[in-house]
Amino acid sequence: MEMPIIRDVLEESNARAQENRAQFDRHGIFVVNIMSSPGSGKTTLLQKTIPLLQERSMKCAVIEGDITSTIDSERLLPLGIPVVQANTEPSGGDCHVGPHLVQAALTHFDLPSLDVLFIENIGNLVCPAEFYLGEDARVVVLSVTEGEDKPLKYPLMFRECRLCLLSKMDLVPHLEINIERLRRNIAQTNGRMEVIPVSAKTGDGLADWAAWLLARMKERVR
Amino acid sequence: MHELYIAQCILDAAKRSLPDGMSSADVEQIRVEIGQLDAVVPDTLAFLFDAIKKEYGMPGAELSVTDVPVLCRCRQCEAQFTVELPIFLCPACASSNTEIVRGRGILLTGITVRDDEGEGNGNADHS
Repeated sequence: MEMPIIRDVLEESNARAQENRAQFDRHGIFVVNIMSSPGSGKTTLLQKTIPLLQERSMKCAVIEGDITSTIDSERLLPLGIPVVQANTEPSGGDCHVGPHLVQAALTHFDLPSLDVLFIENIGNLVCPAEFYLGEDARVVVLSVTEGEDKPLKYPLMFRECRLCLLSKMDLVPHLEINIERLRRNIAQTNGRMEVIPVSAKTGDGLADWAAWLLARMKERVR
Repeated sequence: MHELYIAQCILDAAKRSLPDGMSSADVEQIRVEIGQLDAVVPDTLAFLFDAIKKEYGMPGAELSVTDVPVLCRCRQCEAQFTVELPIFLCPACASSNTEIVRGRGILLTGITVRDDEGEGNGNADHS
């Protein structure tokens, strides 16, 4: 017997994400899901960005997604903020942070005290883009050493994100990358994508990135 | 690789869609539509689906996947067009301001369950 059905296969996953969303709303927390390839500089950017938000009395926290290890969360400890390491290895080694993992991590935070939560996803330009976690904004970090073609090779990621941080801009003089071509490739995949070039090393662009975050937070409050 | 998680979600969704009284052991086929944009590797998904279907009580289930091309609508000129990945520009007016209409997401579209109920015994009336 054939039974026609129409059902979103990810409905359970999305239901978990909605529960996360409800918690964020209840406590007024602005949540950013940061995604990229491994080694694009997500953790370093957080190390440099969070102090800019702290200067404005924003209480930040981070969920550090990784398959294994606590290396990244240890790097963030000097910031004196709550950090929860969320590893996927115990549950099968998924290469993305799922909404269940976020839900479990949230139990470790004092949510009413937080203003901003960063979810540093697992380094991977494919899988993390698939799963809604309940976040307000999705940001992709693309380092200039990765080449101009990445937006074309990973269209879902570049379609899903609202902002692209072009990281490691200080290296551009040493590379053959054509930034204009890279921007064109981003625009061909997602015409509404905003792009902010940054360098965690020189600090260039970090104020713009912090301003972008504050503007999105204001939009949300409104 | 997100195929393992997706295989689990498909089996879960199929199980939840079975009407009361129907046994998951009788599921013969599970049909899904997968958007091209989702970058699911079909062979990997099929392999993992087969590897775990027993755990969901559906050892006889076969997975049938239909690929759904990405369809976009242009916000400027309203043209609808099939996307030649990864270029999302409108072929009519070259605008990059486009929205996805189809081709993103994974839908369970149907299940086939074995007809004989097993309980009736005999099955003498089957032609």
